[in-house]
Amino acid sequence: MKKFILYIIIGAATFIMGYTINNMYSPDLSPVQPIPFSHKIHAGTNKIPCMYCHIYAENSRHAGVPNVKRCMGCHSIIRTDSPLIQTLTSYWEKKEPIPWVKVYNLPDHVYFPHKRHVKAGVPCQRCHGDVANMDRITRQAVSFGIPYARVSPLKMGWCLECHKNEAQKYIGTPVKNGTDCWTCHN
Amino acid sequence: MKRRDFLKILGVGGVGTGLGYFFGKASKPPAAELIPYLNPPVDVIPGVANWYPSLCTQCSAGCGIHVRVMEGRAKKIEGNPLHPINKGKLCARGQASLQALYNPDRIKKPLKRRGNRGKGDFEEITWEEGISILSKNLISLSEKGEADQLYLLTSQIRGSLNNLLNSFMVSYGSPNYLQYELFQNKNLLHASQVTMGVNAIPHYDIANTKYLLSFGADFSSTWVSPVSYSYAYGQMRQGEDGIRGKLVQIEPRLSLTGANADEWVPAKPGTEGVLALAIAYAIVEDGYYKGPDAASWKALLSGYSPKDAAVVTEVAEGRIREIAKEFGQTRPSLAIGGENLARYENGMSGLVAVNILNHLAGNIGVRGGVIPNSNGSRTIDFKNNIAALAEAASASKVKTLLVYDTNPVFTTPKAMKTEESLRNIPFIASFSSFMDETTAMADLILPAHTSLEDWGDDFADPSVGYPVATLMQPAVSPFFNTMGIGDIILSLAKGVGGKVKDKMQWNGFSDYLKDAWKENYSKDKDMLASALTFDEFWNQLLTRGGWWPDEKAKVKAVSVSPKGIEAHISKVSSRFEGDEKGFPLYLTTYAHSSHLDGRGANLPWLQEMPDPMTSVVWGNWIEVNPTTASSLGIKEGETVTVESPFGKINAHVYLYPGIRPDTVSMPIGQGHRAYGRYAKDTGSNPIEILPFKEDPETREIALNSTRVRISRTTASEKMVKIEGSTKELGRNIVQTISPEEFKRMNKEVS
Amino acid sequence: MAGFLERITERLNIYREPGWYKKFDHKWTMVIDLDKCNGCGACVLACYAENNIPVVGKEDCDKSRAFSWLRIERYVEGEYPDVKVKFIPVMCQHCGKAPCETGCPVYATYHNQDGLNVQVYNRCVGTFTCATYCPYDVRRFNWRTYKFEQPLDNQLNPDVTVREMGVMEKCTFCIQRIRVAKDKAKDEGREVQDGEIQPACVQSCPTGAMTFGDLQDPSSKVAKLAKSPRRYRLLEELNTDPSVIYLKRVMNDGAGTHEE
Repeated sequence: MKKFILYIIIGAATFIMGYTINNMYSPDLSPVQPIPFSHKIHAGTNKIPCMYCHIYAENSRHAGVPNVKRCMGCHSIIRTDSPLIQTLTSYWEKKEPIPWVKVYNLPDHVYFPHKRHVKAGVPCQRCHGDVANMDRITRQAVSFGIPYARVSPLKMGWCLECHKNEAQKYIGTPVKNGTDCWTCHN
Repeated sequence: MKRRDFLKILGVGGVGTGLGYFFGKASKPPAAELIPYLNPPVDVIPGVANWYPSLCTQCSAGCGIHVRVMEGRAKKIEGNPLHPINKGKLCARGQASLQALYNPDRIKKPLKRRGNRGKGDFEEITWEEGISILSKNLISLSEKGEADQLYLLTSQIRGSLNNLLNSFMVSYGSPNYLQYELFQNKNLLHASQVTMGVNAIPHYDIANTKYLLSFGADFSSTWVSPVSYSYAYGQMRQGEDGIRGKLVQIEPRLSLTGANADEWVPAKPGTEGVLALAIAYAIVEDGYYKGPDAASWKALLSGYSPKDAAVVTEVAEGRIREIAKEFGQTRPSLAIGGENLARYENGMSGLVAVNILNHLAGNIGVRGGVIPNSNGSRTIDFKNNIAALAEAASASKVKTLLVYDTNPVFTTPKAMKTEESLRNIPFIASFSSFMDETTAMADLILPAHTSLEDWGDDFADPSVGYPVATLMQPAVSPFFNTMGIGDIILSLAKGVGGKVKDKMQWNGFSDYLKDAWKENYSKDKDMLASALTFDEFWNQLLTRGGWWPDEKAKVKAVSVSPKGIEAHISKVSSRFEGDEKGFPLYLTTYAHSSHLDGRGANLPWLQEMPDPMTSVVWGNWIEVNPTTASSLGIKEGETVTVESPFGKINAHVYLYPGIRPDTVSMPIGQGHRAYGRYAKDTGSNPIEILPFKEDPETREIALNSTRVRISRTTASEKMVKIEGSTKELGRNIVQTISPEEFKRMNKEVS
Repeated sequence: MAGFLERITERLNIYREPGWYKKFDHKWTMVIDLDKCNGCGACVLACYAENNIPVVGKEDCDKSRAFSWLRIERYVEGEYPDVKVKFIPVMCQHCGKAPCETGCPVYATYHNQDGLNVQVYNRCVGTFTCATYCPYDVRRFNWRTYKFEQPLDNQLNPDVTVREMGVMEKCTFCIQRIRVAKDKAKDEGREVQDGEIQPACVQSCPTGAMTFGDLQDPSSKVAKLAKSPRRYRLLEELNTDPSVIYLKRVMNDGAGTHEE
């Protein structure tokens, strides 16, 4: 009997451990993209503002990724000798949009309006992390080459934290109707 | 032991971790791709809707709509708030037309017949091939000197498309452009012409009237312009002046409008025209008519005293006189003649009688009465109708038939032998989007756009007392490989060549439309007075959804004279085929509130909408009075055979207290043999068993023209109703107050 | 310590009476004039189009699983020729003291600060308690994951969740439209105007029988209509405090006037 309880406890503990490992170290947190686009070069070194490419963020619930024409706007001239840029150009010539893999993937039952958050003054880095220093977009923070924590767990508790407490910083009060289920789940 | 335990613990630990890891993976949303635009459209913001005004084509009312489009997909159709006909509201049929755009049974590309006609075997071809096949056929017909044996059959199209089709046919050399729909209101139009001298259906000002006498007009659901009239009905009942109008409905079967009426007068089928004349007689005799020619009216109506009429119509004489008194004395009042009255074999004369009533009560040309529409220019050639086409086809005088947006095989009685006569035509081309019964008989199908993908315009008939033009513009890009009907005709014109090509030089229908509007703009002083250049004007048309004057036209009075009317009034009540003994029940048919004449049967939303009076879904039924049913030993839901002297069909029985015991009633619209997966196995089509009878003047097909008998059969399919019980059982669910108390209440409040 | 105890008791006290919100941000109310309603059903179809309601087909309709969130009830009394027919559109009444809210074991339904009865699809486990408690029979259960035949799924409204099997759903007073209007108002730095929010049914009603608005705004149409002497609420004797107000129909139905 005692052994059985011991097995249950170990099973439960390792189950939780496995779940946490998945949350923190799963490869989906930083998937490989079809073109290894580096935000460090674009947003970091060249200081291109976020909304130059992610044009819908201020007007819509979706921020979207930049359309291929926006990339070609610069890259029809800049660095055309690089093989990566040539891959990009081939997508444009073939008239095929680039199939990016979504990193900040909220489930379908969540309604998240980028517009409201951008207009409230929440900086992009609050939820997306220090994108300007990321080569490949990741939802993990990295220290000395070892990933150690979640930047954006995208869990409901994490959203509610800000809605209840941190919103003071941005709009002066906790979010109005911020904890009403229908605000995000209709 | 220790090692064993250690291994067990290791195993449990490993399994636990693995389960936890994969549970974590499974509880995350699945990996998603993020596909950007290649070259983003300028007017689209993903997640934000665009609204395009356009035109609804589900019936001939011509309501203006707003289409909500998100990322190039149409999401919802609503009314255009600026449009004078429907004022931002829209009926169920208009909203459901969205499912016609994205319907799985749409014809996706041009088709050519492969096997025998009617077998449904088609092969896909390209547009070039299709247009060239049809052009070759037309060229050879013209070369043989048989250009007048080309027939074009469409629904009731008005506006620029009508003009285009007309030009095409005329320049080709064929006078045979027919329009046929089941509910074309030809009788109503002709009655207005004959009595009031106007060439358009008048505007019935229901909103401002205080006594509405409706002869079988189901204006809440299907008659002429239901959204406009429903809006007006709301104003009549609870308008701002606080005086509630009264509605009296005269019909043998209680329709949706009748259910909302204050009084229901169940006259005997076919006798409502006589009843109207009797009321007119009573108005003159009892002195409510103040005109100078009362004596000539009395002479004209002398055969229709209320006493005689009471026998024929089975409505008590006292009641007739009471109606006459209220109708004659309440100012303003309004009498309207609906589809039930119009579709007897002498229906037009019934409608003339209704107009006489309006004149005698002084309703014509006044607010709250009948307002003649000033833009009337609709002339219909009554001789050239669908029966004429069927006759010509049987006599092999039709070599090529082009069909668009109409389904005569479904909407004509079997006795007219439409299908057989179509088989006699060597070449049939259809421009339909769906494989309905008529399209299945075609040799070539060139599918046209649905109304959400196409250009067009419409001049509303009836209008609301001043001209209203609506513009139809594409809200979405073409979803399948189809072409706009105007573009098809223009390509055909180029393919045919010669005179036709010279007369029709436009590259596309949108150019034709713009040119037509340029002409309108240069001629109409109201439009010119708007002080805009044509391009600004065109933009305004596209954003507003159409054109209507800011200043409303003046209402001009029209009088009706007793001279010349006598020829149009029928001396007797309408005749029904079938002898009384063999076929004891009168059959009345009516437009289904969701499917109208059958066009809505392929839309799943409309099939699932419960019928307002019976709550039946996905099927058809026959309404039988409970006393009649019990005398015949029939229970609700049973299948019966409905037999007329012209055919028989099966139908489920619905016990309906709102119908005379000597009458049964069936809705039109179900019973398709082809038309897609949603229209299959949904009952039977009552038009099949009707006789081939037409009104003598307008040649409109009479829908209430036969008697039937019903007998039990072995039940097969179930009738599905949504309702449970129809009794309130004292629960006070729909609470009411009496009209007297309402009057008292209003006086206190005001 | 005293403050702590105070907060706890306050919390416990408010759970005693359902519908405890004393101060609403808005109190969304619908007024339906039964004298204008003619039973045409345009509202039912508008609701289908707006809220991604699936078409269930003949078989399921036969099992009383028809899905409409808004239904038109029809009562036929009398025999030929004195037949009296009455229509009444019924949707979720968004009761102030909703029985359904008390029954849900997982708190998937509750009352929010806008006066609406909230149904959270992702929290619902499908115990059916709420539907059993509702006296108006307005809650619909997803007996299957209904398929939207391609390409009809192009018509689905992206602002509304498509529900899966096992989830309860009901009329939401078109919360997605309320949200869009509030969003727009916030962008323009103002309050929501009367008449700006129209749920799909209200927007499509041809006779204009339905009106929607904020009862707390004294200048709104619903506030004025709600004062009508013809007002009543459905099954008022059950004390559910519904947010849908009906105006009595004017007819001689032989049963005399009904007192409130």
